[in-house]
Amino acid sequence: MKNLIEPKILQGTRDFLPQQMAKRLYVMQQIRGVFERFGFDTIETPVIEYAETLLGKYGDESGKLVYRFQDNGKRDIALRYDQTVPFARLVAANYQQLVMPFKCYQISRVWRADRPAKGRYREFYQCDVDVIGTDSLLAEAEIAKIIRDVLFTLGLKKIKIRCNSRKLLDQILEYAGIDLNLKAAVINILDKILKIGEEKVLVELADLLGVEKAKAVMQKVTVKGSNIQKLNDINLAATDEVNDFLKLCSDYGIEDEILVFDPSLARGLDYYTGIVFEVDCEEVNIGSLCGGGRYGDLCSLFCKEKFSGVGVAFGFDRIMLALEELNMLNEIAMNSSVLVTCFSEESLPDSLSIVNEIRAAGINAEVFFEATKLAKQFKYADKKKVDFVVVCGPDELAKGEVTVRNLATGKQIAVPRLQLVSYLKGYEEK
Amino acid sequence: MKKNKLRFAVQKSGRLKEDSLLYLDKLREAKIFDEVEVLPLRDDDIPRCVAGGAIDLGIVGKNLLYEEKLENLSIKELPFAFCKLMIAVKEDSQISTLQDLEGLRIATSYPRLLAAYLKANKVRASLVELSGEVEVAPSLNLAEAVCDLVQTGSTLKKNGLKPLWTVFESCAVLIARPGLKLSV
Repeated sequence: MKNLIEPKILQGTRDFLPQQMAKRLYVMQQIRGVFERFGFDTIETPVIEYAETLLGKYGDESGKLVYRFQDNGKRDIALRYDQTVPFARLVAANYQQLVMPFKCYQISRVWRADRPAKGRYREFYQCDVDVIGTDSLLAEAEIAKIIRDVLFTLGLKKIKIRCNSRKLLDQILEYAGIDLNLKAAVINILDKILKIGEEKVLVELADLLGVEKAKAVMQKVTVKGSNIQKLNDINLAATDEVNDFLKLCSDYGIEDEILVFDPSLARGLDYYTGIVFEVDCEEVNIGSLCGGGRYGDLCSLFCKEKFSGVGVAFGFDRIMLALEELNMLNEIAMNSSVLVTCFSEESLPDSLSIVNEIRAAGINAEVFFEATKLAKQFKYADKKKVDFVVVCGPDELAKGEVTVRNLATGKQIAVPRLQLVSYLKGYEEK
Repeated sequence: MKKNKLRFAVQKSGRLKEDSLLYLDKLREAKIFDEVEVLPLRDDDIPRCVAGGAIDLGIVGKNLLYEEKLENLSIKELPFAFCKLMIAVKEDSQISTLQDLEGLRIATSYPRLLAAYLKANKVRASLVELSGEVEVAPSLNLAEAVCDLVQTGSTLKKNGLKPLWTVFESCAVLIARPGLKLSV
């Protein structure tokens, strides 16, 4: 007997079946649609890069998670680990051909040699949107508006876009008299506020800085009240940037209640230099859906040219989880909307011309491949969750009619053959 | 209020025309504006012309305004041109509940208002869009039901139809272009 190969996949990778793919593609299309509505274009970079391009860009710990191997030509190769480094490489190599400011989005797969856990995959999608080549704060406001529009379009309206300024945070640390060497460590601790609470953060900071300096920092970063109140209470010059940013956001039509100034927000990574964002959804408890901010120099490792930019990454899998948990994707069906039955060999030409007419009207439709029992054809239609089945047997055709059954209600109606397409179109959203 | 010369659109011909002109005379008598240029237009065009600022003021049916999703232009409902947008079926039809319309064809010139009504009542039907004379649709086997404006009901009756459900209650409305301040 022939030895069969077990049809298994690597841990931390996933197969997606058509029903799931329909939902994933729908969500991806909505996100892409918003990016494009704002005039963003996309690029594509290779899945495989020279290892030296990617290594040493993600810090010691993360660096170990880059998938790395020797290829058949003994080259040292790595798999795309995120979209930012390949983006920087692409910009460094091609900036003369790019229109600046460059408004770019990327939706593609990345790979991590991580130990898989719940919600942590070795292969997953990232959705990045970046504006580079401008220092204008309007770019930050536009990114905030994109975040809002993406999540609102997907039906996630109870969101909070938390924002802060790294310049302000620097000034707070300076005001508290904190040594620059300790800055990274302080930011690391501050980033834990939401997770472990203000009291524990204060304890950890006190261990690092002494009680007095820890209290001085905490007093500034935990101010309460409206955005304006918080800015007034902090009362440092660098609040201007946040003030200007909030004003631009308001002019851009972002609702006050979804934009929260949070002076403790740091977003670890050292390369942020200005406004930073992090987005939570109040309806589901799955952590941040989106994050990012202003960076000073995207391509510093690849070229001498300086490109300041602002960008955020949407967590595609988290967004999927949130939407599934809120039952907001239940209506997303697979692609076929109409099945035209095949009654007999004699009536097949009619079935084919009918299905062609339906498709020509922009409706996804298919014809059953065999002239078999109608019950079997209906069963297939049911499994594919089409909206309508069109029966066009000799009796119907002789009368110049077809029968249309709505699978959701089981109700059927005879429609003049020539009105079939307009009947189906009549259900479209007005 | 500063008095200006304003462009004022009224229906060129149809059920709103006479009362619109009478109402305009009242506004003139009340000296709401110095000068006004009256522009007779097709009623379908009035809401969009006002929304785009090409026309300052106009009078249209509330039904049309909501169909065009331009209800934010409305500044005052006026006490004339009362009518209802109703779903009607043949007098001898078996259709007696809204649910009976599920899967059937309904002819109308107001697809958005009708679609919203059906959606709110969880009924799915196929809408056949006609620009006018929708009441003839059932006799031509274009539709099982119609959704049309009803004033006295005589047109429906003449076509062997009976009105069953009210989709929308309408009257004339005064509309103004965005940004125009007017106290009436």
